[in-house]
Amino acid sequence: MYIGLALIANISYGQILPGTLDVTGFPSMSQTVEELVKEAGADDNGVGFESTIDATLITFILDSSTDPITGATVTSSQNCSENIYRYSVYMHTVNAPQNMLVEAKTTFNSGVRFPTAILYDDLSSQPLGPRDLRPENGGAYIQIPNDGSTAIKVFEFVGCREDIPIQFRVKPSVLDVAGLKNLDVYYTVVGSLN
Amino acid sequence: MKSLILLLYILLLSSSKGWAQETLDANDPNSFIFGGDQKSNTLSVEILPLAIVDVEPDPSGSLSFGASADDMEAGLPPMGGSGTNVNEELWLNFTHRSFNNQPARIYVSTNQVVPVGMTLKIEIIGAGTDGNYPQNPRVGEIILSESEQVIVYDFASGYTGDGQYKGYQLRYTIDNPEGVSLPTGFEVLYRIE
Repeated sequence: MYIGLALIANISYGQILPGTLDVTGFPSMSQTVEELVKEAGADDNGVGFESTIDATLITFILDSSTDPITGATVTSSQNCSENIYRYSVYMHTVNAPQNMLVEAKTTFNSGVRFPTAILYDDLSSQPLGPRDLRPENGGAYIQIPNDGSTAIKVFEFVGCREDIPIQFRVKPSVLDVAGLKNLDVYYTVVGSLN
Repeated sequence: MKSLILLLYILLLSSSKGWAQETLDANDPNSFIFGGDQKSNTLSVEILPLAIVDVEPDPSGSLSFGASADDMEAGLPPMGGSGTNVNEELWLNFTHRSFNNQPARIYVSTNQVVPVGMTLKIEIIGAGTDGNYPQNPRVGEIILSESEQVIVYDFASGYTGDGQYKGYQLRYTIDNPEGVSLPTGFEVLYRIE
């Protein structure tokens, strides 16, 4: 009971601890003949083509810290167990071809809680709700803007989380010249206390 | 009552709005520096070149010439004077994605020899407003033969929209004073490259 109250107090009034976002994977997508538009006159941005489900994996965990009283190291795992925040993940691209639509999605509760099980999970009243992941747009694809000033929210989760898979779909216009394009995908995580 | 109707109207409007997009200025580090983070990776996308052409309306894109019995007059050629030697009902659609910015052309030819005594001409006389493509590809008539001739000159990537009244409107003109027939299976061919 005491630990539960301490957690709630920490969540309600504490400052958000720093964390680190880790992005792995170099998603590569190639259009096939079957994925090309079949009707003369139509643009090629109707159906599009997809990456694998886990083309990119992202992880966000709190950094380790030093206890100000004892001077002992507090591990990431300990910080993630005792400090629960809500995180929103926004995405945007840089250098995407002008007429190419890039979309991304993840699925409900994808990824893995870190640590897997903590005391917070057993509280009868969880201030931020369960440590789940909720995708925007019902888990359907979301168009990613090629403009950092309007990065779009793709999903949010509560608590630290590992290996969240991101799947991409591209819809290229015929106005984009054929060939290989490399674009940068940015992931921005924003933490909040509520 | 009016207030109730207004309230219902507002409720309907809000329910039809659906999913609202939540955005962030990710270029501003202040938006994520406390308690958040930002990283990126590279997405590689390879898209294929594409070139397809079609004559609408489907399915056959066929046309016929010839005077009706009501238009025929003794002393005049079989296709004279009534305007039936012109057809403007077919439209040329295309979709093209270039590779390395190589321009493309559309060529026209026939699959068989045009019979002696007959002249078959084609001309682009207009363009639909859909799509994204050059509106004035070539001016003037082409006398059709088995040899390919350019009907749409150099263009980069583009698409016309699909269907009749989209793309290039074609005018076929047939000059057939001796009333000869086209051979069975005669076709006008279009090739985009």
